[in-house]
Amino acid sequence: MRLSELIKEKEFEKVFIFDDSVEINNGYIGDLLSEIMRNAPANSVWITHQTHPNIIAVASIVEANTIVIPKGFDFENETIEKAKENNVNLLKSKKDIFETSGLIYTLLNEE
Amino acid sequence: MKNEKNRLLEKLLQIFSNTKIGEIMTAPVIVVTPETSIKQVKNIMKIKKISGLPVVEKGLNLVGIISIEDIINVLEKGNLEDKVLKWMTEDVKALNEEKTLSEFMEFSQKHKYGRYPVINSENRVIGIITKYDVISWLFEKLGTIYVHDKRRKNILDREEYMSRLTGEILDNKKISFSFEIDYHDIQKIGIGATKLKSFLKRKGIDEQLVRKVSIATYEAEANVVIHSESYGQISCWDFEDSIRLLIKDYGKGIENVELAMQEGFSTASENVRAQGFGAGMGLPNMKRFSDKMTIISEVGKGVIIEMLFYK
Repeated sequence: MRLSELIKEKEFEKVFIFDDSVEINNGYIGDLLSEIMRNAPANSVWITHQTHPNIIAVASIVEANTIVIPKGFDFENETIEKAKENNVNLLKSKKDIFETSGLIYTLLNEE
Repeated sequence: MKNEKNRLLEKLLQIFSNTKIGEIMTAPVIVVTPETSIKQVKNIMKIKKISGLPVVEKGLNLVGIISIEDIINVLEKGNLEDKVLKWMTEDVKALNEEKTLSEFMEFSQKHKYGRYPVINSENRVIGIITKYDVISWLFEKLGTIYVHDKRRKNILDREEYMSRLTGEILDNKKISFSFEIDYHDIQKIGIGATKLKSFLKRKGIDEQLVRKVSIATYEAEANVVIHSESYGQISCWDFEDSIRLLIKDYGKGIENVELAMQEGFSTASENVRAQGFGAGMGLPNMKRFSDKMTIISEVGKGVIIEMLFYK
């Protein structure tokens, strides 16, 4: 699925979009950076509660092209700056992390 | 000639004569009790390649010594099932850890034994000292002095590092990528790893390999920033058949490497953990994603992590 199909859903606020034509083939959820690096697949969306700038380096390394945070959280400004430098898309969901993952999972499986 | 050599040795010993033997001895020491069987002692000697063991009672109190000569006596006229008590030498010559090297030389000249247990002020055995310990300690000291003189030249030429994994020389002049890790700002973790990643990608290196190298580098970089309290360096060599990585810092070192390698073990602060670091997976991840890895660390001097990735 392309990122554009995901953001068609009204549940996501576009914080920073570098390229909405990137292909999302998979997803991963987690807040422990080392665990993300060990297990997160490439070309994926990463759903997390972490909002600090280090998540951009982690996303770039594992090639998660999009980071999604749930409602009630905000990306730090520095994180948005770094996302611009490193070409990582940032979305904020209007739902909590459980509902957000359910939504993305369903979309991916409808393919 | 022989005299000259002796004079040299004497001269060297003079320099170090005030060194306490507690610094030179082998410690911890393997000990046995009077109830241990001679057979067990023989096995310990064989496996550990040692020729004498202090005999202690409760509280590590020295009561004797059993040496290979005693074992020979048992073989000639005793039974391997006998207890140590029966064959040990009770009149054991021990030295206090506070004694100096020159006192040791005098002492061993006088008694002519091969080994002397070292005790502390409470008469507990804390080590063992042989002439071999003195010689290897001296060599080490001389080695340090030598390195010290050479060091300046090495820095000018830029140092080289001998791989602990393959024995090859990793020459600083042939580094493909290097990065200085700034440890003052936790936000900066990952800059080195992402830069290395784009560098390797530009070189057209296999994507899966690039991923492994970058994850391992990220973990090592995070460790320098979070734990070392020192700046650090990432060096990468792109060889024909492998990628080699060296991550060095000059900080506080790892106290217990074995423990640090255990998954889930972390000394990171709450503050750092709240940001998703300190899961205790850093070193395990480096081990998992590299093909070979080694850690060289000394408390107070820093950590070197060397990793090898086959192409």
